[in-house]
Formats: sequence, structure tokens, C-alpha cells
Amino acid sequence: MNPALGSFRTGASPLHRLPAWSKVLGLFVWAVVTMIISDPVTGLGLCAAALLLLISTLPAPKPTLKGLGFILFVAAMTASYQVYRGDVAAGIDIAADLVGLFSLSLAVTGSTSMNDMLDFATRVARPFRRIVPPTIPGLMFAIMLRTIPEVSRIMRESRDAARARGIRRNMTALMIPTATRTVGFALDLGAALHARGIGDEASSDASKGRRVSLAAPAPTD
Amino acid sequence: MIEFKEAAVVAPETGVPILHPTTLTLDEQRITIIGANGSGKSTLARLINGLALPVSGSVHVDGLDTRKHGALVRRKVGFLFTDPSAQLIMPTALEDVMLSLRRVIRSKSERVKAALAALEDIGLGGKGDVSVNALSGGQRQLLALAGVLTATPMIVVADEPTTLLDLRWKAHVGALLHALPIQLIEVTHDLEAATKAQRTLVIDEGSVVFDGSPDDAVAHYRDLMFRKTKEQSA
Repeated sequence: MNPALGSFRTGASPLHRLPAWSKVLGLFVWAVVTMIISDPVTGLGLCAAALLLLISTLPAPKPTLKGLGFILFVAAMTASYQVYRGDVAAGIDIAADLVGLFSLSLAVTGSTSMNDMLDFATRVARPFRRIVPPTIPGLMFAIMLRTIPEVSRIMRESRDAARARGIRRNMTALMIPTATRTVGFALDLGAALHARGIGDEASSDASKGRRVSLAAPAPTD
Repeated sequence: MIEFKEAAVVAPETGVPILHPTTLTLDEQRITIIGANGSGKSTLARLINGLALPVSGSVHVDGLDTRKHGALVRRKVGFLFTDPSAQLIMPTALEDVMLSLRRVIRSKSERVKAALAALEDIGLGGKGDVSVNALSGGQRQLLALAGVLTATPMIVVADEPTTLLDLRWKAHVGALLHALPIQLIEVTHDLEAATKAQRTLVIDEGSVVFDGSPDDAVAHYRDLMFRKTKEQSA
């Protein structure tokens, strides 16, 4: 999975304790401030603060470093271009802003559960309920996160299937099965959403609070 | 009680019949449906909670027409799919169960408590924060079942729920399903599991060709498959 997405880990850091809306608002304000202030020293300071906030959430080391490695590469390329143009200060500022903002977004997603994000998205969408049911935007975001690893799995399996048949470096043999199977997965996911009644906006007469309990212990894997 | 009244389904583009007009009343606690691949048994199962709608006739659950009251019917009928991967929507186990509870429990803390209890009940205690991608096939199917059961259905329709599972998980999921204190309708290729019911339907080429005791149904199905294989090789 993309390390920036769906990387929530339970914890007790100050960021974990903050409500989702304040973190999203903070991220937005941070992005605006870093865009407005084009000073390399301030940029580096904000970047360091964002990295400290990220560390405070105790993120999973491997995906976090992988994500940071990628953004460092992008930042280095961008900074190199600015330096080539003769503007060293802008190069440092842009690179620091990119790394800082990415780190803060990791800190926010790593400290906010998907359900909190869903509640937040639902509240934000409430004023627009005449156009779209409030639960839909959050649900769309959750489905997007859920789909990323599945598409990645489908792509890996399609590549392996092509290799098993002796086909290598053939984009058609990779993309066509990936696309068709992804559509199949999307249809299955749609059926599952439908079956679970998610998105059904009709008024409820559902039974409430009756739990169906099970006793048998599960096999351990 | 589930009632099919001359319910028929055709393929939308070709018009080929998938299920011929079928009239049935299903009120036993345990019903199994068996049949060859492509015989129409999954379509019959999907008609029960409105995932598929009949082109003619009707399907009623507790008097509610699946066409007119789809949302209400889906609250009464939980559906378990063959591949749990497509049924799990949220990134972690706890969040996925909580999603099913959003409609029923408004308070977040109550929702967390109920979801944790549901995971514990089903044998996934301690797996709440685990990514659904990190769960085994059997654990995913258990999680999918937990998601279905927390919505407190009156009926569970399971479409080949153990087909993708190994022997150990197959036995475990099968036992859990059969211990449910609610009506269970299971589509299966597992003929041994099919006999653990009060009534079994055999579907062939879009029609119910046998409806009766599970042992007789399995014998009928074996005979049917034997005849078809013989015809094919002749």
C-alpha cells in the first residue's frame, strides 16, 4: 500500500488524541503557510517540526522510510532544478516544504483512524446533503484506500501469469488482465456494499442491539 | 419467510434465461442449494436480498417485496460472498465491523465496544487493528461474517462461503454458520456440508429440478452430473 495512505496505527501520542477535524485543518493551514512564506530558514524549521511530529506518532518504520525516500528524491530533483537556475534559496525552500508537508500528512494519516476520517468527511459533506448523501464522500475515500492494495495484487498476479506463459515485457499482457480483473473487483465490491446496505438511505426499521453470538474458537494461523 | 412467486431472471444483454420462473417458499432454518457451475444457484441466492431483481414475478422476505423495499430487505438478510476480499471495505478489521454498525449505533465509543465484542465473539479478538490485507483467507471470511452479523440480520445467505478456504478453516467457518441462531441459506459445492440442512434445492440450467431432503437431493445431483458427463463423452 502507498505508505501515505491507510497507515493508521493505534497510539497515545498528542496527535492521536486530537480530533480529526483539527488535524486536517492544521494540515491545510500548514500547506498555506509554507506556500506563502518563501524563506529557506523558515522552511527548514517547519520541515524539522513536521518530522518531529511524524516521529511522535511512532509510525511503522519500513513504509514510512520508503515514502520519505521517494519524496526526498522528488525534493532533490526539484531543488536541483532551482539550483541550476541559480536560485539556491528557492531550491532549499521548495525541498523543505515538500518534505515537511509530506511528513505532516503521514503524521495525520498515521494518527487518525479511517472511521474518524469517515465521520469528519460525513460532517463536512452534511451541508451538501441535497446533492450527495453525507456518508458518500468518506466512503469513497475509504474504498479508494481499500482498492489500492487490491489493484497492486491484481497487477502482480497478472504479471506472474504472463511470465508463467513465457510472456515478458509485454504491456498488453499485463494491462488488459489487470484492467478487466480490476473492473471485476469493483463490481464485486459494489455488490458487497449493496449487500451490506451501505449507502441505502431509506429510513430504518432495523432491529437494534440484538447481537448474534458465536462461541467456537477460531483456528490460529 | 422467503417467498418466490414466478420469479425469473434473464441476462440483461442477451436475454438468455438465467433463472426460469420459480415459485418457492423457504421457511426452514437450514436450507442448502447445490448445482453445477453456471446453473443459476447464485442468482437464486442473490434474489433473496435484492442483489439481483427478478425481471418478472417477485421475491418477498417477511412480506417485503425485494424490488420495492430493497433497503429494508437487506437489513433483514445478510449476505456472505465466496471471496471475502471484495466484501471487506475498510483498511482494518475493527473499522470494517464498525462500518456495519454505523447505521445501528450512533455513539462512536459504543460502536467501538460493539465491534470489539463482535470480533471477540467470532474468534478475531486482538486482530482489530490488523490490516485486512494481513489476515489469512479464513480470518477474512470470519471478518466478513462478523460484518454481516453485527448488522443483526434475521437471515444469512452464504454463497459458497468455504470454497476458497483450506480444510481447517472450511470446518471452522462451516461450524460457525451452522451454529447461527437465525435462518441460513447456503449455496455450496461441498456435498457433505449440503447434507447438514433440513431442505436442499438442486438447481440445473436455471430451474429447481429437485427440492426435498438433503440426502435425496445429493443423490439426485450426483445422478444428474453422472448423466451429463456420460452424454458429453458420448
